[in-house]
Amino acid sequence: MRAFILGATVAMLAGCAATERPDVERVATDFATGDPTARCALLAPATLAAAERDGPCVAAVGTSLSSGGQVLQTSVWGDEAQVRLAGDTLFLTRTGGGWKVAAAGCTPNGDLPYACRLEGP
Amino acid sequence: MRRVLRDNGIGLVFGGLFLLMLVGQAVAGQAQYNDQQAAYGAEAVSLLQYVTSSTFAVDVVENWQSEYLQFFLYIFLTVWLVQRGSGESKDIEKAGLESDEDQKVGAHARADSPAWARLTDWRGALFSRSLGIVMGTIFVLSWLAQSVAGWAAYNSEQLGNREDPVTWLGYLTEPDFWNRTLQNWQSEMLAVGSMAVLGVYLRQRGSPESKPVGAAHADTGETG
Repeated sequence: MRAFILGATVAMLAGCAATERPDVERVATDFATGDPTARCALLAPATLAAAERDGPCVAAVGTSLSSGGQVLQTSVWGDEAQVRLAGDTLFLTRTGGGWKVAAAGCTPNGDLPYACRLEGP
Repeated sequence: MRRVLRDNGIGLVFGGLFLLMLVGQAVAGQAQYNDQQAAYGAEAVSLLQYVTSSTFAVDVVENWQSEYLQFFLYIFLTVWLVQRGSGESKDIEKAGLESDEDQKVGAHARADSPAWARLTDWRGALFSRSLGIVMGTIFVLSWLAQSVAGWAAYNSEQLGNREDPVTWLGYLTEPDFWNRTLQNWQSEMLAVGSMAVLGVYLRQRGSPESKPVGAAHADTGETG
């Protein structure tokens, strides 16, 4: 019984990640290659609110974030994901409207969380 | 029907309580999870989404593993360890595996003994240890399941906090894994140890987990 649960847990984790990966990568690529309007449409609600705090969203995503870039590595765990692109690292979260970008313009920061130019709370 | 219910009262009642409490844990856990989601500006999850999440899985199996460890250790260690005066302990002089006659195995098996109790080959040896083996195996598998589910939940939190995920082996060195493990282990050791010692001086009339009310404090191995 417990062996079944263990096997089912591992299969569920692997299966979920594999199922979600194409959607995650598509959203990340669309965000990286999209114009500012398209990028704003791909932001998670809390991140969109943060982007609009000091002005229109298109200004926030249009000037400070690099564009383009091929997907180098994708990690999906539950409702959260990380996509490393050639020119950026994105963090995504699953919402009722599908996968959305929670943070962009992220760079490693030692043992601390990534430093992101655009992110929600 | 009534007789079946009466004859299986312990298994049925505890099985029913287990299911009720598991449902309660799922409902309370979903509410707590959604409170956190709201704090981060994220969307609420349904009960089905929550009970299939690694967060719920690790919260469930981290408790399972510690319970099975407790009973495995208790079953195994009380072969050799005794507690003078405790109804949870066997007589002091019986410490150890005991004689074949005491254990009713091999040539000393009775007519109604389980078939493998009569055998002196590997089957007899296996049956003689089957309770500890099964409880120990369930413990190991539950602990392994905790490590996998905990790893997934931890990595989801890592990504939500804008940090890199870790490997499974890396997770086994994380404080999260050992905090979840040891906070459960310590409580189990406290409960089983205190029950063995309190049973020397305290009684519960009619309970097989207690000595008879009138038994002397020094009496060991009696149950009432």
